[in-house]
Amino acid sequence: MGHHIIQEVSQEKFEFTGRAKMIAIGLFVIGAILAGVGAMDVKNHWDSIGHHATEEVHVDEAIESHEEARHGDHHATLAQDEHGHVGEGTKELHTDADHHGETVDGHHGPTWMTRIWANLLLNSYYFWLFAVSALFFIAVNYVANAGWAVMLKRVMEAQTSYLYLGSAILLAVVIGSRKTLYHWVQYFDDPSAPTDAILESKSWLLNNTSLFFFIPFVLISWILIRMKLRNNSISEDKDKGLSMFKSSTKWSAFFIFFFAFTFSALSWLIIMSLDAHWYSTMFSVYNFAISFVTGLSVMMVIVQYLKAKGYMEMVSDEVVHDLGKFMFAFCVFWGYIFLSQWLLIWYTNLPEETVYFAARLEGGYKTLFAVNIFMCFLAPFLVLMMRGAKRSPKVLLTAAAVILIGHWIDTYLLIMPGTVGDKAGIGMLEIGTTMAFAGIFIYVVLNSLSKANMYPINHPYVLESVNHDVGP
Amino acid sequence: MIDKSILLDDKTFTVGIFDDSDKLLNAVGTLKKKGVKIFDCYTPFPVHHLDRALGYERTNISIGAFLCGLLGSLTGFTLAYSMNVVDWPMIIGGKPQDISVFTSFIPVIFELTILFTAFGMVILFFARTRMIHGIKEDLLSRRQTDDHMVLAIDNGEPQDMSASEIQSLLASEGAIDVDASRTSFNTSLTDEDELAKQLMTK
Repeated sequence: MGHHIIQEVSQEKFEFTGRAKMIAIGLFVIGAILAGVGAMDVKNHWDSIGHHATEEVHVDEAIESHEEARHGDHHATLAQDEHGHVGEGTKELHTDADHHGETVDGHHGPTWMTRIWANLLLNSYYFWLFAVSALFFIAVNYVANAGWAVMLKRVMEAQTSYLYLGSAILLAVVIGSRKTLYHWVQYFDDPSAPTDAILESKSWLLNNTSLFFFIPFVLISWILIRMKLRNNSISEDKDKGLSMFKSSTKWSAFFIFFFAFTFSALSWLIIMSLDAHWYSTMFSVYNFAISFVTGLSVMMVIVQYLKAKGYMEMVSDEVVHDLGKFMFAFCVFWGYIFLSQWLLIWYTNLPEETVYFAARLEGGYKTLFAVNIFMCFLAPFLVLMMRGAKRSPKVLLTAAAVILIGHWIDTYLLIMPGTVGDKAGIGMLEIGTTMAFAGIFIYVVLNSLSKANMYPINHPYVLESVNHDVGP
Repeated sequence: MIDKSILLDDKTFTVGIFDDSDKLLNAVGTLKKKGVKIFDCYTPFPVHHLDRALGYERTNISIGAFLCGLLGSLTGFTLAYSMNVVDWPMIIGGKPQDISVFTSFIPVIFELTILFTAFGMVILFFARTRMIHGIKEDLLSRRQTDDHMVLAIDNGEPQDMSASEIQSLLASEGAIDVDASRTSFNTSLTDEDELAKQLMTK
């Protein structure tokens, strides 16, 4: 009754064809051109774009900013030019905040360069997360002694191959944009700035040592662990035995421990410190949730692509089904973390915390905020709940696309309100940059996939994976 | 498994008794391939792939779970809304008392969804498998609730093969015991001695 056990995995190798290369390069070129045109457009029309918030909102923001002022919290992005005409009390704050908001160029408030840097940060961070979560997933599978996903291991490894270039780009963008995007860098660079108690209290983390040494240290450590795991995996193909498996398990256990602390610290340094005065203890978990669910969705897209191209015949629907379950589970996880962060802040109603959501729930971000929840939680939750959906390539691909776009918007909402403010938008610049990054990512991943065999046939659990069964 | 009458009444069965789930699974496969109509299998624990081998459709109990969850969500929302907005509005943290505080209802909705689904599934599962307190099952072998598996073929059902062929097929597939004509006995017999006597003979 179809119940026969596969005893041997027939090896295959992915060929990175010229056509696929052309598509990846073409995506990059078109994206880069679009981004360039978009950037020129943003530069030329900078003064006329944005400002779509209503007058009423300004008053609210001003009142809020005024409250912040009493707490010694000057939020540069909320207090913009318009606040000038909202009464005596805010006048003082206005000058104060403007002083903080000054960029190196001497302009105050966000300039068109701010939007370009923020956009680069968004995409370099977003695509880097795919590689990070794939590395984490490999490690989790080793430590948990999980066998079902072994057939997909080379796909995960290919995803982690973006870690080299992605980390380099991310580091370059963070360091390059530090004086434009990071309010705390501007504050600590400017000795004449009035003392900001909140930023002073955070100076143990938000300082140049973290920026120039800690971030590179973490990125390089992860790359070294990735190299170790990859080398083990490749040399396992040549010689049988458990030595590579044991070594990888040890390194994976260390990586998970190390990752828990360092990923949190990176998410604070790179993303949370954009809203320098704000903090949330849920934030690193939130970033991890984004990372994991997007990484799984990318994995799903790659697997479906390979299956459509005639590869991965040995990967049964059962394994894909379980990957779909993971996608579903981590959509729910994201929703849970989002709600936890939201409820804590919403209930306690402390001005220094609500400022984060205030910026995202008013003005042009309100729609995106709703779209974000719909695309990242509600839609995948209701669709992927069904068993049939997790076994249908079309539904899985659609769900993965919705999740990926939804979390792009999610990351957008993490970065833009604290940097570009109400002059942000999704135009040619943003779409072009995303396309260019997607081109790089696809090229790197498929290139890495073609370098090794498709299946790790000497992995001790490979037969478990190939015979995996989730039941009726 | 479930759609057939669990109360076996006075049917007679050809039974093969197995002590190995793999042998049972192979036997089911072989018999099905030869066109033998199998009545059912009785196992003390779930045997993987057995339901597929017997050709059973996937259960749709998950739709029941979804409906239970939906009912729980609606109950949670109604409960929170009617209490906090309609019946006894309270000002908590300066928040308004209308639908805009929806997020504060979510924990209630979530918990009741889980509660209704969990309880609903337990009740539904036991009802569907007739594992209800007071109902005694009919057994074909006393050890089908312990460590043996029973493959039952209804003698009243016309088969392509002769009875002796089926019996020898069962024996060749590794059944430790083959019985050409067995009737069920009921564990609800009140007379303990009578039950013991019946059990001794099976």
